[in-house]
Amino acid sequence: MTFQDLILKLSAFWASHGCLLQQPLDLEVGAGTSHPETLFRVLGPKPWSVAYVQPSRRPDDGRFGQNPNRLFKHHQYQVILKPSPDEVQQLYLDSLEACGINPRQHDIRFEEDNWESPTLGAWGIGWQVLLDGLEITQFTYFQQVGGMDLSPITCEITYGLERIAMFLQRVDNVFDLEWGGGVKYAEVRLQEEIEQSKYAFGQVDMPAEQFAALHRELFDKNYGFAETLLASGLAWPALEHALKCSHLFNILDSSGSIGVTERTAYILRVRQLAVRITRAYVEADQNSAGADLQAGPGL
Amino acid sequence: MDRELLIEIGCEEIPASWLPGLTRQMAQHLDARLQDARLTSESPAESYSSPRRLTARVARLAERQTDFEELVTGPPLSAAYKNSEPTPAAIGFAKKYGVDVAALEKHQTPKGAYLAYTVRQRGKATVDVLGDILAGLLRDLTFPKQMRWDAYLEDGKGDLVFARPIRWLVLMYGGRVVPFVIRRTEVSASPTVQDIRSGSNTYGHRFLTTSGRAGRAIKIKTFEDYQARLLENFVILDRAERESRIRRELETHARRLGGRVSSQVAAQSSLLQEVPDLVEYPSVVAGHYPVEFLELPEEVLTTTMIHHQHYFPVVDEEGKLKPAFLAVINMQVDKPEVIARNSERVLTARLRDARFFWDEDRKTPLASRLEQLSSILFHKKLGTYRRKADRVERLARWIAKDVFGLREAAVDQAGLAGRLCKADLASDMVRELTELQGTMGGIYAREEGLPEEVWKAIYFHYLPVGVEVDAPPSRQQLGNAAITWATVTLADKLDSVVGMFWAGERPTGSRDPLGVRRLGNGFIKALVDLPALTGLEVAPKLQTLLEAAREPFGEIEKWDTANVIALSMFVQERYQFVLEQRGYDIRNVRAVIQEHTFGHVSPSSTLQLLGALSEFVDQPEFQELAIAFKRVKNLAKDLDLVEFRMQELTAPDLRGRLEHPAELALLDEIDQRKPTIEAAIALGSSYKRALTEASRFKPAVDRFFNEVRVKTDNEGLTRARLRLLRRLEQLLLQLGDFSEIVPEGL
Repeated sequence: MTFQDLILKLSAFWASHGCLLQQPLDLEVGAGTSHPETLFRVLGPKPWSVAYVQPSRRPDDGRFGQNPNRLFKHHQYQVILKPSPDEVQQLYLDSLEACGINPRQHDIRFEEDNWESPTLGAWGIGWQVLLDGLEITQFTYFQQVGGMDLSPITCEITYGLERIAMFLQRVDNVFDLEWGGGVKYAEVRLQEEIEQSKYAFGQVDMPAEQFAALHRELFDKNYGFAETLLASGLAWPALEHALKCSHLFNILDSSGSIGVTERTAYILRVRQLAVRITRAYVEADQNSAGADLQAGPGL
Repeated sequence: MDRELLIEIGCEEIPASWLPGLTRQMAQHLDARLQDARLTSESPAESYSSPRRLTARVARLAERQTDFEELVTGPPLSAAYKNSEPTPAAIGFAKKYGVDVAALEKHQTPKGAYLAYTVRQRGKATVDVLGDILAGLLRDLTFPKQMRWDAYLEDGKGDLVFARPIRWLVLMYGGRVVPFVIRRTEVSASPTVQDIRSGSNTYGHRFLTTSGRAGRAIKIKTFEDYQARLLENFVILDRAERESRIRRELETHARRLGGRVSSQVAAQSSLLQEVPDLVEYPSVVAGHYPVEFLELPEEVLTTTMIHHQHYFPVVDEEGKLKPAFLAVINMQVDKPEVIARNSERVLTARLRDARFFWDEDRKTPLASRLEQLSSILFHKKLGTYRRKADRVERLARWIAKDVFGLREAAVDQAGLAGRLCKADLASDMVRELTELQGTMGGIYAREEGLPEEVWKAIYFHYLPVGVEVDAPPSRQQLGNAAITWATVTLADKLDSVVGMFWAGERPTGSRDPLGVRRLGNGFIKALVDLPALTGLEVAPKLQTLLEAAREPFGEIEKWDTANVIALSMFVQERYQFVLEQRGYDIRNVRAVIQEHTFGHVSPSSTLQLLGALSEFVDQPEFQELAIAFKRVKNLAKDLDLVEFRMQELTAPDLRGRLEHPAELALLDEIDQRKPTIEAAIALGSSYKRALTEASRFKPAVDRFFNEVRVKTDNEGLTRARLRLLRRLEQLLLQLGDFSEIVPEGL
């Protein structure tokens, strides 16, 4: 099964189970969770089921295309189910079967692994799913986002596409994967990996101080504008600018441009912004949703 | 008739490390709930668990609650009737229980006669109370981390949080289902989110089945039937059985590979305790990894296998790693080699990463990594690891020189090991395999050619973690590095503990996120066993060590007073804890470690004092000593300790102020025995002699109390007598506060 076949299979599976198929967020993010289709949709009472691929950038994991398992950018397949259906684990296992993984011939395990994102004021309870010892999926019941308790509870399923594809194609080097139609992953992505890694580690024709100063400036400008957007009641574009800040911070970090204390301060700033944005989204959502979707347990 | 109660909470995979505790909780809470509900059973509840279920069973539970009868007293009879008519008090009392005044009875008590009523409640049928019991049980269970999952109970207490979502419930009494329901919140209402209703269906293994679809519902009748049906459906309910099966299979497979499971599994992990709680139907597969990876340090290989993949490394007869591992799986498959191959690929990928780190890391000497430590934060108030390294170096040097009295070369080695001990935190290997911090630094130091005294001190500096006498490292492991190791481990832990308290990070109750208690324990354990581990004949005092560690954090006057007090109490507490864990009687420990003086003694000599004391308490002389001491202490406390010390320094000689022969005799005794006792204490090894000598005060003390009245009209004389008693008390306190040990009634 090619890399793109895997995406097609998962999309077909989840579409047939009531998910909207969305597109990736067209911004630099570290994970599918940052996409408003997750970050915003899990808030409030409205049911929502959606699936999408999210190219995810982790500057610190860049290895110049030399490491067979680590990438600056990898692909997640993100599924959001709200409320979380009772049969969600079985659904997930069925989705693996749809991709050609027969659970009766392998050792599939759900082992405790909780998720937490301090920068988003978010955490959840869940597992990593192991397939013959290989971590292929993160499975999370969201509990809080933006410091707010969620109700109902959303289930987030995040598949690591490269890993699953490597498993299915029995290759040990990600660049040897067949993306589709006989074209290798390396042909599609290797040059990008090399160049992005160089950028992430500051290997640019620019003195290090200048590199750092530029990214700090970009961070501050985006941060300031996100606040303006927030003050204008525009949560969606505000989130996008907050995400840009988050990525710029990651670059500052991977290029070794910031010290310890500063690092903590940056994380805190992004967190404060993200929390305010999620709250603004909830307020706007409540105002537009009307009285027919009142939250609250049946007590 | 007594019948069987069976409860199964079917759950999504519960974290393995929680299961042993939850299994215990199930039985304890169920028993408590049954007792509260006046439901009697012949034997206590049994409980079981697997990753997907928590089960409890009571073999024979009464069919009804026992009847309830309680006599409630009301107003005194005198206030109950006026002119033979019931008073409002009496009427009110009767009304409260919904009866006529005529139905009340008279109850005679030592305080007089009262109006009374016997409340009688007929026991309800067990089936009618089991719902409440299950609701209570579900609420009683506690988890290290709980989740909300859109569920609530109809007990008026709202949301039902749990470990993971509950998927099915068995609640059966005498083979019949007792109705119970877990509701789902309105906001989650959807065709795919349903209430959970109790039933007689359980579920077997997710993937394994002999007939029909895996994971289908299985109808059950009794516990025996339940356990048998589960087994047919590939679930071994009994954890012990899963464990012994795993052990057996591990052994067989290891033997087939020509070796055995590495002892490192037991030494550095709880893997063997964990795997039975990760699987419902275990079996073992064997895998291999390319032999070239054996060039990696053994520690890297075992840590990768054990901590990252939950695999069991295999060693040959000499204990050397073989390029093979065993994996416990939750399956029984026709082609185990498929799973083995896949596991091999995962492990090989990890080892390839590790080899990359190993090759890269060795290009940079540890000393050049110190600057990188500036970007790794130790604690936000205590700064980076760079600063920590400076503090540890200084303290290690000071311990080597001033406490241990070592020569310059050895002091330099202690300083070097202290400076480098955290450097590996900046290495790629430790960033990836954090379990190897310290260990890796030691290995890299060895590879660089640093002497054994230095590399082993780094290698072992996170130890000791345990407090038992044989907790690693052993003297044999430490080899030539024992003394340098002691300087570094003490310096590192001391700096962390003192620093954390300075920063206000003191552990409270069960909260100790930074593991300060563990550091404290390690520090005390290292001190207690210092002579045994290093062969050094030194006995550093706690106070001296604490003061030295405090220096970088500024003058004591500028500390938050609460933190100073908390630190002192903390050290005393850890000190008592370690000694108690060593099996010393808590009363003896308290006697020896006293609030005001513990800082002035050294933990290693305390151990000897405790040893002498635990032998001595059983002898008749000890009772003599304890009784005498208690009498002395009771009176002596009337003279303020500070005032006493002032007097001892400045006031005229005591002899001239005493007059009674009995008190002069006691003073003579003190003068005579004091040198012997203090010399014995100073020697540190003749506590028994000191204790014996101290017990000889008894006759003189008795005589003093028989013949002398301490409190007189002459204030000067009274004070002199109190001063005499204080002097004796203080002398004896150096050996312990024996009033902690005196049996009650003496």
